[in-house]
Amino acid sequence: MSDTPPGNIKRIVIVGGGSAGWMTAAALSSLLPPDSVRVSLVESEQIGTIGVGEATIPDIIHFNAILGIPEAEFLKATNGTFKLGIKFVNWARQGEAYFHPFGVHGADMNGIDFHQFWLRYQQDNPASTIEDFSLSARAAAAGKFARPEANPRSVLSQLRYAYHFDATAYARYLRGYAETRGAQRIEGKVTQVHQHAETGDITRIELEDGSSVDGDLFFDCTGFRGLLINKTLGIDFKDWSHWLPCDTAQAVACESSGDPLPYTISTAKKAGWQWRIPTQHRTGNGHIYSSKLMSDDEAVQSLMDDLDGPAIGSPRKIAFQTGHRTKFWEKNCVAIGLSGGFLEPLESTSLFLIQEGISKFIALFPTARMPSVVRDEYNRMLEKKFEQVRDFIILHYKATERDDTPFWNYTRTMDVPDSLTRRIELFREAGRVFRYDDELFSKPSWIAVLLGQNIMPKSIDPIVSTVDRAKITHSLQSMQSAMGRAVDQMQSHRAFLDSLDSPAQTLSGNGR
Amino acid sequence: MPEPTNTPTRSIIVCGSGLAASLTALSLARGLDETCGIIQVRGAAVPQEDVLYGNATDPASYNFLRRLGLDEPTLLLKSAASFSYGCHFRKWLSSHSWLQCHHAPFKTISGIPLFHHVTRASAALQPLLVSAQAALAGRFAHPPSDPGNALSQAEYGYQTDPCELTRLVDAQLANTHVRRLDADIRSIEAEGSRLTAIQLDTGETVTASLFIDASGPSRRAINSVGGRFNAERTIGAAKTTRATDQLGPPCREIETNALGWTSKAFLQNGEHVLHVGPADTAENPDAHFTVELGHLTNAWVGNCVAIGHAASVVEPLTPAPMIMLQRDIERLLELIPVLDDMTVEQKEFNRRFREDTAHITMFHDALLSGSDAPASSYWRDALSKPHNEKLERKITQFTNRGILTRYDLEPFNDEDWTIAHMGMGRVPSQYDRQVDRISKDETERNLTHMSETIKQLIPKMPPHHIYVAKLKQYLEKKNHV
Repeated sequence: MSDTPPGNIKRIVIVGGGSAGWMTAAALSSLLPPDSVRVSLVESEQIGTIGVGEATIPDIIHFNAILGIPEAEFLKATNGTFKLGIKFVNWARQGEAYFHPFGVHGADMNGIDFHQFWLRYQQDNPASTIEDFSLSARAAAAGKFARPEANPRSVLSQLRYAYHFDATAYARYLRGYAETRGAQRIEGKVTQVHQHAETGDITRIELEDGSSVDGDLFFDCTGFRGLLINKTLGIDFKDWSHWLPCDTAQAVACESSGDPLPYTISTAKKAGWQWRIPTQHRTGNGHIYSSKLMSDDEAVQSLMDDLDGPAIGSPRKIAFQTGHRTKFWEKNCVAIGLSGGFLEPLESTSLFLIQEGISKFIALFPTARMPSVVRDEYNRMLEKKFEQVRDFIILHYKATERDDTPFWNYTRTMDVPDSLTRRIELFREAGRVFRYDDELFSKPSWIAVLLGQNIMPKSIDPIVSTVDRAKITHSLQSMQSAMGRAVDQMQSHRAFLDSLDSPAQTLSGNGR
Repeated sequence: MPEPTNTPTRSIIVCGSGLAASLTALSLARGLDETCGIIQVRGAAVPQEDVLYGNATDPASYNFLRRLGLDEPTLLLKSAASFSYGCHFRKWLSSHSWLQCHHAPFKTISGIPLFHHVTRASAALQPLLVSAQAALAGRFAHPPSDPGNALSQAEYGYQTDPCELTRLVDAQLANTHVRRLDADIRSIEAEGSRLTAIQLDTGETVTASLFIDASGPSRRAINSVGGRFNAERTIGAAKTTRATDQLGPPCREIETNALGWTSKAFLQNGEHVLHVGPADTAENPDAHFTVELGHLTNAWVGNCVAIGHAASVVEPLTPAPMIMLQRDIERLLELIPVLDDMTVEQKEFNRRFREDTAHITMFHDALLSGSDAPASSYWRDALSKPHNEKLERKITQFTNRGILTRYDLEPFNDEDWTIAHMGMGRVPSQYDRQVDRISKDETERNLTHMSETIKQLIPKMPPHHIYVAKLKQYLEKKNHV
């Protein structure tokens, strides 16, 4: 490490493995030469990890691409499948379903958003749904898959995808990746954390076997415990459970009942919802609910009743609190993953928030002095990101017509953040959707969920009135036909996965 | 006070005869069909403050104007417009000179932003900016799409005359369904926060469900429903035009002087010079008019929306006044109310108006800070404003280690801020340590290569006046207009 300029960080310690820990280790080890910076990860086999994620959003493709991970190798190692979106069942009303696809709906024309044209079209064609104009939604419904094409003239360029995978296997895969690049794994349970007497910075951690690991910078990837950020540095938690009242999950895998679906299913239940995530050889299931309104026994029973196949093992209970730390980075400690904050995986954002924590840190990579201006900026950016995701998730609960249980009566009538109220009002008025800079969810995502949750605009944007009605009908029907032909030509999802073993398949991925 | 009803918006009145009013009326005519009646009430006089829209537009104006039928050939052939790579700040606040150029996102070296390499090498940024170097050399060419060509990194706007632009827009308006009334407003009728009718000096009374106040700083319509203007300070301004034999460089020039500052724009018909100084006529006797800088608290009140100088007045130090006008119009078009009850649209419009105003003002405040300014009342007032928290964060983050803090939908991008910071002498005290991944020699080789490539390219570009002349010949031959 003799070449490292003075003032640079030389020893980075990641406390905790799991997805957060190993994603951090992999990203740092790919970036930092091991002869300049030592990256160590301390984890204990005695402490289990929570398999956050399993379902992802398209940004994961960028993360893997930056690390140079070949897609086929990754899918094989993690039993991964492709994901074109999420099917929401019973959310707006019992018995109704809609699809939130990755990618866009139709094509914008004359600078006007596509959905405005669709709203006009739907007046004459009431049976039409916006999903009819999403290639991802239509491919998903047909159980098919194709990679997007780069050529913007091709209808296939509208596709976007992410993955379903085994998060524990992903962590294992990344461990191999990081260790190959010089990251050092240390087995051990942390018994004590030492701080500098004057600055309060964390200086070293002591392990059960009496050894210790010192560092300039520490990542807290210890999950909900927040061993460093909370228990040592005392950073509080900003609680959002009044907006997102679910606080417990029961998770269990089951045997697959057929070919894996290229989408996640989220089914609203009495006091929460249940996920169904198909990997190659099994299906991940989880029931998230409010423990104030449903007992654990009832939640488990409901979960088990709705499995597709025989359960693999017994359900595992996970208690959680929704919200985030008031600071993600305090002194020389950065909280990544559940130690920094948690939002239920309704829109599969858990791994994305880990990824954001890592990428924002890398963008602000500090000197060993770690000035407060850098930390402040990091905290500001992460908080904003959490708030954006939060609003999108709350939308699913707020915009419901369900009044069959106390849970839905609460969420339907609760006050929501002003930022979300504004969005709902604007859409309800004339179908207007605005996107903020650097926002995760695209306009089509907001539109899919707003419409899916039965928020129909009272009227159409007057700007569309200048466009001839017959032309709109012609354009939309042409789009629909082109999509139908494209889906017909796609391989089934199963066949596509099988073909990944073929040497002819390229290993590139395509992002959002 | 009448309760808003749920009847559709069927008619719009645009008050004003200047650039803001004409651009708004034309944008509405292009965006709405003939079932929505549009009336423009044009007073006898164009507000003289229109010169404060300045003589520069930013790169986004290309698409904005083109959508209104004012494409580049029209601008070049039917007005004195010329190209603009940016603005040359000369001896700004006595000690800073730089070209505030329009530039594509900076390239990264080994995935690390350019200016971190610049900081480590203690190098200058300007020689690495192709649009800055071309503007300084007085040369222009359209940026090619080939990313291998260094000029592809350049972006451009126009040097224009707001009065000429108004004339072009008015010509377009003649072919639309906008009913144009050449009359002065005698009185405005309002009930509570809703305007109901406008009586004209011709005796006619016009009514609408939505009123647009684009009348400039008089703000007669928005004032009638309780619009509140927050004045920051008052300036005096004068504009002159001087014919020249030859078109000047593709950039404006701005220089500090004892009274305030002077901007020179180089159009096909000569130099357009704008003097900005104190409002006090004793101190600034040559000023043609005075105007309060500032903005409305809410640009949309009841059923009246203020656009352009009626909503906010900023100095044309940068293309900000045109950017703000464009954003006002785009915001209005996105939020054209559907029903008489406009509360949802109004709320969103005002939120975004406040953000745009704050962000534009912030960029100017960043340019108006320093200690070397002349001792005059203009400079005393201009530099006395404390930085708000957002700007303080931007400056602190940048000077600490080159972090570019971003806020939502800012009109000035990372490149604008980097160039302005460095132009104003703000240099990060540290660079991003990721730069250490590559050797200093490699950084220097990369930076030298970039600047040498630009140095070799510039002499091959034609002078601005020759480029414009030849382009016009070509367009005339092709009958583009």
